[in-house]
Amino acid sequence: MQVNLNVRRYDPVSNGNGSRQTYSVEVEEQSTVLDVLIQVRDEQDATLSFRGSCRTGFCGDCTMRVNGKAKWACRMPVSKAQVDGEITLDPPRLVKGLKDLVYDQEEFLFDKYAATKPWIEPSPPGPTEEHIVSQEKIKELQEASSCTLCGMCDEGCTVLIIDKSFLGPAALTRAFKPVADPRDKVIERRLSELSEKRGMWDCVHCFEATEHCPKGIDPTDRILSLRDEAIKRGIGTPRVVRHNDSFAKSIKSSGWLDEARLAIESEGLTNIGGLMHLVPTAAKAMAHRKAPLPYLHKKRPGSKHIKRIFEKWEKDSK
Amino acid sequence: MSAALSAREQGASVCIVTKQHPLRSHSSGAQSGINAGLRGADAWESHGMDTVKAGAYLSDQDVVENICQEAAARVIALEHMGVPFDRNGDGRIDQIKFPASSEARTCYCSDATGHNILQTLYEQVLRMQIPVHHDCSAVSLIMMDDGTCQGVFARSLRDGSLIAFSSGSVVLATGGMGRMYLDNTASTASTGDGMAMAYRAGAALRDMEMVQFAPTALAPNGILITAAARGEGAVLVGSNDAQLDSLAGSDAVSQAVARELANGDVRLDFKGVDSERLSETRLLIKDLAGIDISKDSVSVRSVMHRPIGGIKIDGSGSTGVAGLYAAGECANSGLNGANRLGGNALLESVVVGRKAGESAAGHAGSVGPAPDLVSHQADEERKVAAIVARGKNGESSGLIRRELASLMQESVGIFRNGSGLSEAAAKLATLKVRCGAVGVNGPASGYSTEIDSIIELGNMLDVAEVIAASALAREESRGSHARTDFPNRDDENWLKHTVARGSGDGVKLDYEPVTVTRWKPEGSS
Repeated sequence: MQVNLNVRRYDPVSNGNGSRQTYSVEVEEQSTVLDVLIQVRDEQDATLSFRGSCRTGFCGDCTMRVNGKAKWACRMPVSKAQVDGEITLDPPRLVKGLKDLVYDQEEFLFDKYAATKPWIEPSPPGPTEEHIVSQEKIKELQEASSCTLCGMCDEGCTVLIIDKSFLGPAALTRAFKPVADPRDKVIERRLSELSEKRGMWDCVHCFEATEHCPKGIDPTDRILSLRDEAIKRGIGTPRVVRHNDSFAKSIKSSGWLDEARLAIESEGLTNIGGLMHLVPTAAKAMAHRKAPLPYLHKKRPGSKHIKRIFEKWEKDSK
Repeated sequence: MSAALSAREQGASVCIVTKQHPLRSHSSGAQSGINAGLRGADAWESHGMDTVKAGAYLSDQDVVENICQEAAARVIALEHMGVPFDRNGDGRIDQIKFPASSEARTCYCSDATGHNILQTLYEQVLRMQIPVHHDCSAVSLIMMDDGTCQGVFARSLRDGSLIAFSSGSVVLATGGMGRMYLDNTASTASTGDGMAMAYRAGAALRDMEMVQFAPTALAPNGILITAAARGEGAVLVGSNDAQLDSLAGSDAVSQAVARELANGDVRLDFKGVDSERLSETRLLIKDLAGIDISKDSVSVRSVMHRPIGGIKIDGSGSTGVAGLYAAGECANSGLNGANRLGGNALLESVVVGRKAGESAAGHAGSVGPAPDLVSHQADEERKVAAIVARGKNGESSGLIRRELASLMQESVGIFRNGSGLSEAAAKLATLKVRCGAVGVNGPASGYSTEIDSIIELGNMLDVAEVIAASALAREESRGSHARTDFPNRDDENWLKHTVARGSGDGVKLDYEPVTVTRWKPEGSS
């Protein structure tokens, strides 16, 4: 079949603004987008640069935008990728482009991954037996470690768009593995470090990472699990704990979220500095009629049923 | 990374130079598993026997004994680093029985074993703070006048500059050369770079005619379906619904599939297989073939999988060139003989990798101060400048690679014969001349891969020449080397290793005896 590959061309030296180039290729029906890129480089244009290693979806190297959406080029059959005979290829949008479809994996992926200190401290040399671990636990670890650091979740992340220093879902997903690993001995240190600024508490759980993950790992859920584990161990900022308590209290008592109370209680009633920070935001909200006065928080219909759910849960978890 | 870690543990100062990031390396695609006799002091013995039999008695049995005895300790060490091996009901490492294995001894992490080992080793590389220079492609070894190796020259993809990594010793772990075949399971980086560099520096390449084919690649994509699938009970069905022997060694099964394909379709049927165990495989087949393996079978064919031959090394990982060591797919330790037992590749990489790292660290300690490399560097830079100077001239490394790949598949493929191999050798010589004329079309700026592709093509052609010559000389069929004009195994004349060295006028072949200890060759016809 015939496809037109419409590719972003960029070379910081000779073509600083980038351009687009279309290659017309006769391809086999079963080819993947990566196969076609290799074919173009071999047959038409040796100057075209892109990444891609294992060709089967295990190495995470060939992430790029296919028709605007982040995909692995090696898992994308051209027959599915083409729209009216054309396939548009671009590098991921959040990362620094280096040349054509090649982008910087260092800053976004490898450096952040390394910053989470993801290794396990091995026992002194000479153990003759493995650890006894349940198969259920192993499956959980394998699922987390099936991450190839392809960066697709980071590509979807709505926090990284505004703050590139956020660790991001890829690094946090990998960081989850040692925390979940019963063989690890420094879980509390890990959780405290991940609780620092730009860490796990900066996630806004928009679930875009989960939507983007090609492995179905559910990075958002891993981040939430990290937080649960931190709260369970009393790690994390007291502000977060107050936020969670206030959130639950509000839903339990009225069935809705009392946002004004949430903001105030999260800061802490005795935290004068924190409360003063809220004033400009509140004023702005009022100016934009987002906080109509007088501020009254009513119970929602059926809130007593919601309260009963809470009470049952509280009783069961005791 | 195994070599880097063990050298670092010995106190050596180490760095890793690699053309791709270590996490992108092809071990991530090694789905199947890692063999080790974990239970019982003599569990290694049957492992050794299976290895030797699968290798059609071309394995060096002292090497087999050492590696199989070491296997359990290495698997346990990997487990202690954090590799999430699947467990049995007692919470201990589970083992399954692989094709051509007499016992259940393959440890696995679902169907992503290589991926998990790779990730874990990389975590340890981070822990030991070993610098990794990735996007940095080794182009030649730094050879001193006294014939010792003292480092590598590498091209930085970032800016095209040539970097000299001066060191007391070098361990090559550059992987295979699968890209010289049209249909292959190899990563894009598998272009035989380490083999070619070592060969040019005077090291020997051993048993290069042994090229392993995998029987279950997705037709027509050529993407590998793991051998674990057959281990789990998936069966090969030929035309007329006749079942093939799916549990034999990969050499026999690949050849049977290739023969059967002449009559029609061959399908891999997953009926009765727990597809949870093959979750990655299930996804792969769904994405690329659009088939749900719990409902339908898939068409498969045999494609080139990995070299069995490689840079000849001894038990310490040494190539015989002072300061030069090798491990993994680029090396030939003598373990695999004429055909590799499934589950031995990852094992060989970690065991031999460790050995090579230790030896390299020991050697480096005895080497004097770093040599002056100004003239060496100038020579290397002139070579690249010559490529650039040729400019745009109509020849293309990509097109020549495609011709090379068709030629290798056709004439140096799963079945070979004397006339095809002679023709191949002649054609390779003309491709080499053409490769020498390829120039570049664009600026040699950062992340342009034009020059790298030309260097890689040169590497593949050098290695291909050795494969063709070795295959032409071996007038018998053994393991993965199947000669249609010499269909039988001939222990009387050919129970010996092919050892190839470069000389002024092409490939020079020698032969060395196979070490036999406890498993006497049988089954020759």
